[in-house]
Amino acid sequence: MQPEAVSASTTRGPEGSRARPGIPGWLATLVLLLPTYGWLFIAVLLPLCTMFVFSFMNATPMGKAPIVFTLRQYQVFSTQPYLLGIAWTSLLMGFWTTFACAVLGFFAALALARATIGRTRETLLILILLPFWTNGLVRIFSWTMVLREGGFLDDVLHWVWPGAGSIGFLYTRSAIVVGLVHGYLPYMILTCYIALVTIDDAIIEAAASLGARWWTILFRILIPMAAPGLISGAVLTFVPVLGSFMEPRILGGRVGVTMGTVIEDQFTQAFNWPLGAALSFTMLAVVLAIFATFSGVLRRGSGAVA
Amino acid sequence: MNTTRRQTLGLIGAGALAAATSSLLSRQARAATKITVLNWQGYGTDEAWALKAFTEKTGIEVVHDYFSSEPEMLTKLRTNPGVYDVVLINSARSQQAASEGLISPIDFSKVPNATGLSPELKNHANLQLDGKTNGVSWVWGITSLAITEGSPKPDSYAALGDPAHKGRVALFDDAVTGVAIGALLSGQDMNNPKDLAVVTEKLKAFKPNIKLLWSSEDEWNKAFAAKEFDLSIFWSGAAVRSKRNSKLPVEFVVPKEGGIGWLDSLSVPATSTNPDAGLAFINYMIDPDFYFQWATKVGAPASANAAAMEKLPADDLNRVIHKPEYLKTMTIQSALPDDRREAFNNLWQEVKAFYAA
Amino acid sequence: MIGLARFYLAAILVFLYLPIVVMMAMGFNESSLYELPFHFSTKWYVALAGNDQLISAGINSIVIAVITAVVSTILGTMASVALARRTFKGKTLLQLMLLPPIAIPWLITGTAMLVFFFWTGIGRGMHALLIGHVALAIPYVVLVVGTGFQTIRADLEEAAMSLGSTPIHAFFSVTLPLLAPSILGAALFAFAVSLDQFVISYFLATPGFTTLPVQIYSAIRKGFTPEINAISTILLIGSMAAILVFAIFARPGGVSDKR
Repeated sequence: MQPEAVSASTTRGPEGSRARPGIPGWLATLVLLLPTYGWLFIAVLLPLCTMFVFSFMNATPMGKAPIVFTLRQYQVFSTQPYLLGIAWTSLLMGFWTTFACAVLGFFAALALARATIGRTRETLLILILLPFWTNGLVRIFSWTMVLREGGFLDDVLHWVWPGAGSIGFLYTRSAIVVGLVHGYLPYMILTCYIALVTIDDAIIEAAASLGARWWTILFRILIPMAAPGLISGAVLTFVPVLGSFMEPRILGGRVGVTMGTVIEDQFTQAFNWPLGAALSFTMLAVVLAIFATFSGVLRRGSGAVA
Repeated sequence: MNTTRRQTLGLIGAGALAAATSSLLSRQARAATKITVLNWQGYGTDEAWALKAFTEKTGIEVVHDYFSSEPEMLTKLRTNPGVYDVVLINSARSQQAASEGLISPIDFSKVPNATGLSPELKNHANLQLDGKTNGVSWVWGITSLAITEGSPKPDSYAALGDPAHKGRVALFDDAVTGVAIGALLSGQDMNNPKDLAVVTEKLKAFKPNIKLLWSSEDEWNKAFAAKEFDLSIFWSGAAVRSKRNSKLPVEFVVPKEGGIGWLDSLSVPATSTNPDAGLAFINYMIDPDFYFQWATKVGAPASANAAAMEKLPADDLNRVIHKPEYLKTMTIQSALPDDRREAFNNLWQEVKAFYAA
Repeated sequence: MIGLARFYLAAILVFLYLPIVVMMAMGFNESSLYELPFHFSTKWYVALAGNDQLISAGINSIVIAVITAVVSTILGTMASVALARRTFKGKTLLQLMLLPPIAIPWLITGTAMLVFFFWTGIGRGMHALLIGHVALAIPYVVLVVGTGFQTIRADLEEAAMSLGSTPIHAFFSVTLPLLAPSILGAALFAFAVSLDQFVISYFLATPGFTTLPVQIYSAIRKGFTPEINAISTILLIGSMAAILVFAIFARPGGVSDKR
């Protein structure tokens, strides 16, 4: 079947089979990888290693207090069990945001790839990406004006149906998800679009001519082919959402407490870097675990390398 | 030797040149003395008109850097030696900074305006370490209740849990303030409450009333203007500004348990390269003339300089809100040892998680 | 079906632009506290014109964003090529190494960078900012371009080579043009990430050299006024205009329209 053939060939590289003089294969790979990973290593990974060491300390290592190493920051989920509730809420929030982005984004990408052409398509793509370029804080604050009681949402409602109550839902979990989806949807649309835009019309026409209904086409052809886009979109959404703190703070009010805000508190208010670091690395471990399981499932499911 | 005369002439010439250049340079240096001040943004030291007047008077140029939390202020001091010449430190943090060697004792002979400082504030225990005073008391204020004008005035912090204000309360997102409220309500010392469990209980009881937690004056202003809440915890100086400048209908109320007081001081970092210029700036900041302009034009917390406060008209909002009798019931936040601060932070985090659940 | 698709896209655009429109509108509202009812005023744009700090912060942001986009796209694409087309051990590890910058809240990474750069003498300033911004943008580029790689066929390159082309030439004439949309998308991402990157900028900028998000966030204490809306609107319109110009002039008539 076509998808398998495509995925099989993408794993093979055009090297080794012909004896070519000049740059040896391994050197080419090194040249390609070194600048990027070297940069990442020095700029991000080494600093994060310092943070990792911090996470085993008793208190923030500045000033004259002696440094004491301890595991207690990592035991915080048992010493302060309310954190488990917060972690769970954050995971749910991440899940719902990613799911909403996936559904909305996939169909938007599909619509772009199959219902628009040329200039219109490109203009729409740019329009979809542009909100990205506005400052996050101003954007989220503008959502408060839309979602609050008596805000724009209520104004629209009262214009259509005067005398109705308020549908403003600012300072609720839903408001946070709306803000998050708004911020991350363009990622998902773009990655799904990249995956979908290369789908050959012929496949769809062939399937249709063989009597496949639209849902078969959707679930057996389109979604699997968009899988790489859905996956990278999910990564780019779920992972940062877990650690987000602006949307929960500004849109959540009293209910805006997530792992992200707790971690931020440790760094800006409580000045407890070891705890903040420990929480972040725990979160990272959870994320890696989720992806490990997920990609294992994928690998077995489709035969393609995730 | 005949070189002696040439040498001597040369030496004299070099000396003259050196003297000329050095006086030229020092004049330039004096004109170009630049100090960097580390403070909250928009908190008095960066008022453009004040800086202009100061530079004209002394020739010292002032540049600012800002922080948005006290731990951040400490981090900046630690990681930027030699950069800052004046730093604002809440008196509760002064001993910590001094014990780390981040700030130096104040040479009051270079701060003539300090004679006007209220004695309780000038030598407050918070600012002392090893018998030396490490900061100049600058401004003080009270954190207490604020209610929409026209509503019944609360007489106790317990009003925060009063069902009449269901869903209409905003709290200040700060562990120390939160614990202080719980402590005052349970009759404990807000700087060292022995029974934290009761403090947690008191705070958790407010849950049905809390709509949001604010962490900056601007956030409070915007939410209050949008009528999101009626009763809140607020700062006295901010209440003056919100009422006077933004015309918001807010009334500041200090309940029977007393206000939660704070005292800000200006200090000179130990690594400063222009400590005298820094002290000159500090002196200007407690100058009654500067304070008068700041308080009447912009809105300021109460000045630690009693002479400055007396310059204000009797009906001035600032003077009215910062009644001297409040000083009697007010407890000033003082230094917290690390483990106590951590306990407070964790308590507050638990309360917030409870509010969110 | 097509009608439905177009309606759906319109609805998505409404959702995406709702707060943007509000943001632009409030830039023309008189109240400094965003209070309604709406009273038209251009005072914030006037104030912005005199606000040197905000303007220079805006310009700094754009400069840094452009440099970040270019550098990170080049580096990210190179790494992507290696990950997609070369076989070697440890590929999974390298892919996992891309996750920490995205997974760990930027607040942590920012603080870590501040401390690490301080200890190693890299210090703060524009160079530190660029190091940080590029590092954060790279994973996005690799992920986006990687997606692009997964949807084009490697055997096209092989076909070219079997016809006598060198691997490098095959790459540049066959693969790269096919990748162009993903690379462009990745560059736009990197630009956006850098433009809105507050946390790293906050820790690594020196007093006096700030970027727009830092100015805005610091202004939370003093009060962010609709001047912020004004400059955000200007940046947005400016970006639209820039892209429009680019689109008009960079198109020699052929549209990469896969049908």
